[in-house]
Amino acid sequence: MKMIQFKNKLKQLFTFVVSLMMFSTLLQSCAELDPDLTEFNAPPGSYESLADQEEGIVGVYQGLFTAARFNDIYAPAWGGDDMTTNFGANKADFREFDQRNVTPGNARLGNNWNNSLNIINRANTVISRSQGLFQLDVDMEIVELRIGEAFFLRGLMLQHLSRIHGRIPILLDPVVDPDVTLSSQQEVFEQVESDFLEAERLLPDVYPGVNPGAPRPNKGTARALLARLYMDWAGFPLNDMSKYAAAAQSAKQVIDNSGAHGFLLLSDLEDLWRQENASNTEGVFSITFCSSCPNLDNRKYGILGLPADLLGWQESLAEIKFFEDFPVGPRKEATYRTELQWEAFSDQKNPVFKKITGPAGDIAQFSSSRFDFWMRYAEVLLIYAEASGRSGNVTPQSWEALNMIRRRAEGLPFATPNPSVDLTSGDIAELAVTERKWEFAGEFSRWYDLVRLQRVEQALSDRQPQVSTDPATGAIINERNSILGSLGTDNYYAPLPQIALDELPNLAN
Amino acid sequence: MREKLLRGTISKYFIKGLLIVLLFSGKLYAQQTVTGKVVDNNDIGIPGVNVTIQGTSIGEITDFDGNFSINASSDNVLVISYVGYTTEKITVGNQTNIVVKLKEDVESLDDVVVIGYGTRRKSDLTGAVSQVTTKSFESQPVTRVEEAIQGRAAGVTVARNNGAPGAGVKIRVRGANSITGNNSPLVVIDGIFGGDLRTINPNDIASIDVLKDASALAIYGSRGSNGVIIVTTKKGSGKTKVNIEHFTTIAEVSRRVDVLSSSEFATLRNRNRIAAGAAPTFTDDEIAGLRENPIDYQDELFKTGVSSTTQASISGGDEKFKYFISGNYVDQEGIVITTGYERSSLRSNLSANVNDRLSVGLNMFASREFFANNVDSFNRFKGGLVLRALTWDPTSPVRDENGDFILRSNLANNGFNPIAGILRTTRETVNDRFNANIDIKYELFDGFTYNLVAGINTWNSVTQSFRVEGDTTDDASTHTNLDFNNGKFSAFQISNILNWKKSFGNHNLDVTAVYEFQGNEGTSNGYSTFNVAGPGFFFGDVGDIANENFFNNGGKRTIQSYLGRVQYDFNNSLYLTGSLRVDQSSVFPQDNRTAYFPSAAIAYSFNNMDFIENGNTFSNLKIRGGYGEVGNQNAREDAQFGQSARGLLFSFDGETTVNGQADTQLGNPNLKWETTRQYNVGLDMGFVNNRINLSVDYYQKNTVDLLLSRQIPTTTVSITENIGEVENKGIDISLSADIVQTKNFNWNSNFVLSKINNEVISLTSPDQERIIGNILSIDGTTNALNVIEVGSPLGEFYGLTYLGTWKSTDDLPTGIQPGDARYLRDEDGERVLGAIGNGTPTLTWGFNNTFDYKNWNLNIFVQAAHDFEVYNQVEGALNGGSGDFRDNLSPNSFNVWTPENETEIPRAGANNLLNSSRYVEDGSYIRLSNVTLGYNFGSFFKGLDSAQVYVSGQNLFLITDYSGYDPEVTSNPLNPNQSNGDVGSGINLGAFPNPRTYNLGVKLGF
Repeated sequence: MKMIQFKNKLKQLFTFVVSLMMFSTLLQSCAELDPDLTEFNAPPGSYESLADQEEGIVGVYQGLFTAARFNDIYAPAWGGDDMTTNFGANKADFREFDQRNVTPGNARLGNNWNNSLNIINRANTVISRSQGLFQLDVDMEIVELRIGEAFFLRGLMLQHLSRIHGRIPILLDPVVDPDVTLSSQQEVFEQVESDFLEAERLLPDVYPGVNPGAPRPNKGTARALLARLYMDWAGFPLNDMSKYAAAAQSAKQVIDNSGAHGFLLLSDLEDLWRQENASNTEGVFSITFCSSCPNLDNRKYGILGLPADLLGWQESLAEIKFFEDFPVGPRKEATYRTELQWEAFSDQKNPVFKKITGPAGDIAQFSSSRFDFWMRYAEVLLIYAEASGRSGNVTPQSWEALNMIRRRAEGLPFATPNPSVDLTSGDIAELAVTERKWEFAGEFSRWYDLVRLQRVEQALSDRQPQVSTDPATGAIINERNSILGSLGTDNYYAPLPQIALDELPNLAN
Repeated sequence: MREKLLRGTISKYFIKGLLIVLLFSGKLYAQQTVTGKVVDNNDIGIPGVNVTIQGTSIGEITDFDGNFSINASSDNVLVISYVGYTTEKITVGNQTNIVVKLKEDVESLDDVVVIGYGTRRKSDLTGAVSQVTTKSFESQPVTRVEEAIQGRAAGVTVARNNGAPGAGVKIRVRGANSITGNNSPLVVIDGIFGGDLRTINPNDIASIDVLKDASALAIYGSRGSNGVIIVTTKKGSGKTKVNIEHFTTIAEVSRRVDVLSSSEFATLRNRNRIAAGAAPTFTDDEIAGLRENPIDYQDELFKTGVSSTTQASISGGDEKFKYFISGNYVDQEGIVITTGYERSSLRSNLSANVNDRLSVGLNMFASREFFANNVDSFNRFKGGLVLRALTWDPTSPVRDENGDFILRSNLANNGFNPIAGILRTTRETVNDRFNANIDIKYELFDGFTYNLVAGINTWNSVTQSFRVEGDTTDDASTHTNLDFNNGKFSAFQISNILNWKKSFGNHNLDVTAVYEFQGNEGTSNGYSTFNVAGPGFFFGDVGDIANENFFNNGGKRTIQSYLGRVQYDFNNSLYLTGSLRVDQSSVFPQDNRTAYFPSAAIAYSFNNMDFIENGNTFSNLKIRGGYGEVGNQNAREDAQFGQSARGLLFSFDGETTVNGQADTQLGNPNLKWETTRQYNVGLDMGFVNNRINLSVDYYQKNTVDLLLSRQIPTTTVSITENIGEVENKGIDISLSADIVQTKNFNWNSNFVLSKINNEVISLTSPDQERIIGNILSIDGTTNALNVIEVGSPLGEFYGLTYLGTWKSTDDLPTGIQPGDARYLRDEDGERVLGAIGNGTPTLTWGFNNTFDYKNWNLNIFVQAAHDFEVYNQVEGALNGGSGDFRDNLSPNSFNVWTPENETEIPRAGANNLLNSSRYVEDGSYIRLSNVTLGYNFGSFFKGLDSAQVYVSGQNLFLITDYSGYDPEVTSNPLNPNQSNGDVGSGINLGAFPNPRTYNLGVKLGF
């Protein structure tokens, strides 16, 4: 009896062991603990081909698109005396700039901060990952061209942030230093200069295979932005006057080589604001958009500049006093929608920028394929005129630069001297500043002129309309968004956004 | 265990029987024929019942009507036994006709708790486990399992944060641990991981056991940190039983949000226009017309939903073979127009005892779910559908006189008409699910069993969406969005469980060892396009090719585990449990792949002591204590590796696109498990012969090395790191009482209460005080609405502190006019942004009462949550003056600040910030969750066992100060990728309200 029981037990044990073994073999083959790396879209440690590098640099541009698709990138420019916004609704962020009352919680300010630094981070990544290509048998000219592009885009965003915030952190490594602190203004300018110089060195005269308007930068683009940098450097806050000569020299260099870079004024100013002319020779650097491509449209123009009466969003409106002062002529017609009787608008009475809405009928809604002219060739000309005046080196070419803009403003051929508009004497620097005021109205640049020239108080104390009246009441129409904050230099720069202080606490030290 | 119990009773009776025999041994008893009938509760005869004479092999089996006849002497004891019923013993005496009523053996089921890889008697537990049995919810119509758990399991919070039919329900066991990981408990159905409670037919459930403390959870190791819900489905037993139930449900929106009527809005609009020196918008005639025929967008959006549920099951079995087969069909209409949900499911649970040692079980479950027009799939960038309907112009009808939709209005909400959107949209999701698991038990020798549980689980989901929200004549409005999304998911699990039970005198040992592995794999792919000119989904290919977008994603993970558990008890008084689980997960780098999760627990029962055995106060007294560690591996499958996005489009020429690449994730080679360490002490008490039972548990759990996914500052690159610590402390109380127990009237009452305090102990580096959340305001400012702060509970509301209005006599700061909203400012005059509320209740309770009077049955269930707030962005949007919300639609607009009457409501036209404490409301509520009144007609024709008819209502009554529809419902975050629901709970961006429902049902048993 006992024997049988024992045998049974043995048999059971045997069955058990066999089945356990069967299962465990089954199992071991199934428990795959090492992930299959080919299933992951891992980024390259360094580029292995030119195609990788091109994808990387396009990724930087994609960041630029994200930054510039909405008005986050331009919101600080609402501080200028040319632009204002709706007095209510969700335009508080823009009003803060308009009314000189910018808070760290301003969402546009925060978005711009994040977007700009993201571009810098992606550019750093491209620069770092491109190093591997030097070991490979690929076309080094292309490798360098794209590295130059990355330096350019990094410099561009450092410059942009610095124009808003003054002192900023300089991040040059793909791995973000969480303890980064603010650099001095001098260090920031030097870094921007060094990036643009490096870009100029590596970029060709004209970027191969692109349309006019420099959607990808060339040597001239980098040099033109250096000219802009030197103008800022010479003004507030460092006031290093020696930089005017550098600005003049840089602008002259671009003008002298404009043919090689493909830079040329358009003959009709109004053509600039049509979608069909998005790509044109006046662009020294253009941020490109595409409304027929998936989600690549520009959402800053069209109804954003229209009043509620015309089902507009009233985000980017024109200031009344500036409009009143604007010299009558073709340039005013190209700048504003003068056919609209804005004084009779019901919700908010402000003139309408043609530069924002486009000519009547050009943009149906908020979406367009307009490009953003980050810098127009007209600015290079006016920098040259102003900087040569301020550096005491005025030449006939300086006057010609100014006069080309003046002629076109009157609807005349810009290249043909015309004594009725041409100037050859006077304070060319101040004449150029005034010319800039009208030429770039509504192009998100006036504010930065006021800052570098330390004329914020002067300009913003003069916003009260003088002649525009409400047709219903006959009363003078008031500008709705009054100045709330200081107009002194203490309030020129926007505070660091809250998000920056939360994420990088050392910036506060 | 159950067997042991039974054996105990048998021996007790045996001794009694023996005594009787000894006492009367001098007498002789004559044999007589005893006839009788065995009936069930409803006096229906039970066929096939064993009737034996105790101590002999003489026995008979009842016939089809339950009748038997047996020769016995008057001193014989008849043993009447049948599977599924309590065994009865009757001394024959001088009876010749005996009617025996067998009671269904529910007690034995109730008494057993499923603890993971085994069961345990409730009285032998060392850990904290909440059990919900069918008994507690069978008298109310339940369409989903979560409803059965809510308010019935201490320590488990269930929030139906979306009233859409078929919507997900948030369940948290003892609070939330993780900031970015998933905090949902693991659901284990019949031993297989990863079930989905929504798909289960509540009628299939035998019991739900929720493991709460780490000593109970550690056996689930890396999967256990959020608690484990173990669902055991029914098994058949006894004679064949057929149950059929049908109920019809009427659902309606339970409350209305107070908004201006059409004519009030028009009047106010005119008043404001005139005050601003402009012409009025509406003529008197128009206003009179609106007064007569008001337009109410709540009426347009909501409707009465009619639903029906039908379920049937057949079950039965004998010693050899048991079966339970059920089917269920739910067809629900949502209370928002065009929304709906259908579910059909089929279950077959079979088990066979092949021989004395081997048993095989096969459970199969298949279900199909169908969702129509899920409201969360609509554009929520500027608030959900409900919010947009509430803020839409009440002077503009849905359609014009030609029957065309009016898509835009110059007043109130600046978006497209939400009703036109939902009426033009068809979005359908079908989820098919199939689960099968096999359960083989083989007893190698006495007390030593090998158990194999193997399961597969597949789930396919297809969504076809044709969503038209914009203006089809204007492509800039991206009007017609067409999506196709196909998801496939499969999981497998194989568990080898060895168990050895042995008693040495008073020492009882129960040892379990398991080798297990499990894995899952998912893929999803689809395409989307927009501005399609066609009339429906199948016109997707006629759209602009430039708008087409394809995607293809997949993920895979595997876990391999070894675990062991030893349970020891001495003399039914001292209980010890120790366990260790070793898990290896593919999610972590090789060096960090293996994790050890130990636990230990002790319990001591005083039941053997004199003061209980012979005392009057206590009938049960036990103390428990335990410690354990559990893990969480809820990181992305690829978190250890870098990831990048390809196909980032850019166009240099305004016509064609080029592809760009950018990093999206920085790999973390040091990633490891998130670990939760938990202490638990508990006390179980029974009074009055266990008619009153009280359990109290106190716990503290600290989750360290939190798996936290965050954006690297200044980049769009994220990283998952082990960072920070979250602590949860709390008390769970469970009190049940049979308050009245008489022949005709029974009153059973159950009260559970959970108190929990949650606190973020630390974040990244020691100096990081807070992480700004990424649930963004819908007012166009993109201000963050939530924040995670050290020293506060997880997921606080983020915003300004509202202090009423600035008065004309105040010292006004720059930029402020009298009548503007006043917010707290710091010493520099800056407005202070900070934590201003929290949406997670710290106190929840449920009170369930069942009354039986003769054939009547009444269930009343009250459920409540306290001490939490709702960030009511809907109210903010109603106040207008912000983003797309142009006009004030709130009734408070009649009482706004004016120079003459300086109230605390900002002046008309003042800027309105939605991220302020002005819109933080107390969310505490007490809800009459269910009332059911049933009547059992019993058997009125042959073959029918019972016929019950009931009426019931859910969500009948709500006590709350909250002004919205329901404080329990809040919105899903717009971007679920980076916020889990717990860091954004309580934020209402226009959530689908919970309906009030009325049911009429009938249950038949054969």
